[in-house]
Amino acid sequence: MHRPYVTIVAVVLAALAWLATSSTRPLGPSMALAEVPAPAKTSARDGWRKEFEEVCARTQDAMTLSTSELRSLVERCDILKPALEALGGSEGKVYVKRLLACRNLYAYVLESRQVQ
Amino acid sequence: MRRIWFAMLFAALLPAVAHAQQASGKKRRPLPPEFGRVVLDKGLDKGPVAPVVFDHWLHRAKYTCRLCHVDIGFAMTPNGTNIKASDNAAGFFCGACHNGKTLAGGKKVFESCGGAGSADKGATCLRCHSLGKNVKPEHDFATFTRGLPRGRFGNGVDWEKAEEMGLIKPVDFLEGISIPRKSLTAQKDFALSPRLPGMPEITFSHAKHTVWNGCELCHPEIFSAVKKGQVKYTMSEIFDGKYCGVCHVNVAFPLQDCQRCHVKPVQ
Repeated sequence: MHRPYVTIVAVVLAALAWLATSSTRPLGPSMALAEVPAPAKTSARDGWRKEFEEVCARTQDAMTLSTSELRSLVERCDILKPALEALGGSEGKVYVKRLLACRNLYAYVLESRQVQ
Repeated sequence: MRRIWFAMLFAALLPAVAHAQQASGKKRRPLPPEFGRVVLDKGLDKGPVAPVVFDHWLHRAKYTCRLCHVDIGFAMTPNGTNIKASDNAAGFFCGACHNGKTLAGGKKVFESCGGAGSADKGATCLRCHSLGKNVKPEHDFATFTRGLPRGRFGNGVDWEKAEEMGLIKPVDFLEGISIPRKSLTAQKDFALSPRLPGMPEITFSHAKHTVWNGCELCHPEIFSAVKKGQVKYTMSEIFDGKYCGVCHVNVAFPLQDCQRCHVKPVQ
């Protein structure tokens, strides 16, 4: 009694699977499977590099930045540091040192404001 | 007879004085081309490759201190950077410019620690790894500094005046390495009172320093005080290579040139 139902379900599933993998057969809206977009190829390198350049570009006018801006920059440096440490090798060595130079300058200016 | 006696005494004492000076570890003052020389010998003093001899005078005429010591990441003390050949070959530190591609004065800068050394049987390596080797440098100091304003000590060149006159134009930006920044608004000059009564007051010029250094090279690594008067700087510490001495012992105009800093006469 159950065998025909199993057969029908199996056939339907097989058909759906074939339709899903077929690139030439046009699918109607009711038959189309949602196509999951491929994840955007976010370059991790571009991410940290962009953040690094944004954060360390403000050293020239550190003295004119507000206290909140300085605090924000210090926080952004602290958040970025692990990503640069994870680079390892020569690149990690250089960029961690550069980041610390920026971060420490902002912290220094912040501290001088607080003392005054 | 008395003159002969004094001459003999002088001749007898002279070797003793020279020996005592040597024994005390007193170094002779470096010659103008030698001033600013840094020897990088970490891990190289016993190996097959000679330690590196780096003379600041050529690089400082072409690039700001900030470019090398902030953007490229060189430490402010010899051997402090812990550079490896692999770092240079990967385009960091010396390799940031010494890559066989970067142009300086219209010429390609030679590649350091890359394949060039093996291709020419180490001749390229010797350009830097030259301690104790008889290597003729590509740039002659006397020729290079001819026409630059004279200084009393150090390299014998007034680098500050040379820059003001436009005779040297130190580059402050390296594509792919430096971050585009706004031009720096220099802080005001200020006076410092010397601890020794009678010495002229020191005028410190931020404007002159930021031409070469930017802010982050000095603050807070070299000067960490956040309030004027918080730290009492002593000449013995400065001569020992701290504070101003980080630069003014070995690369910038030396501390023997007192009047460059102690400029304000006592009223």
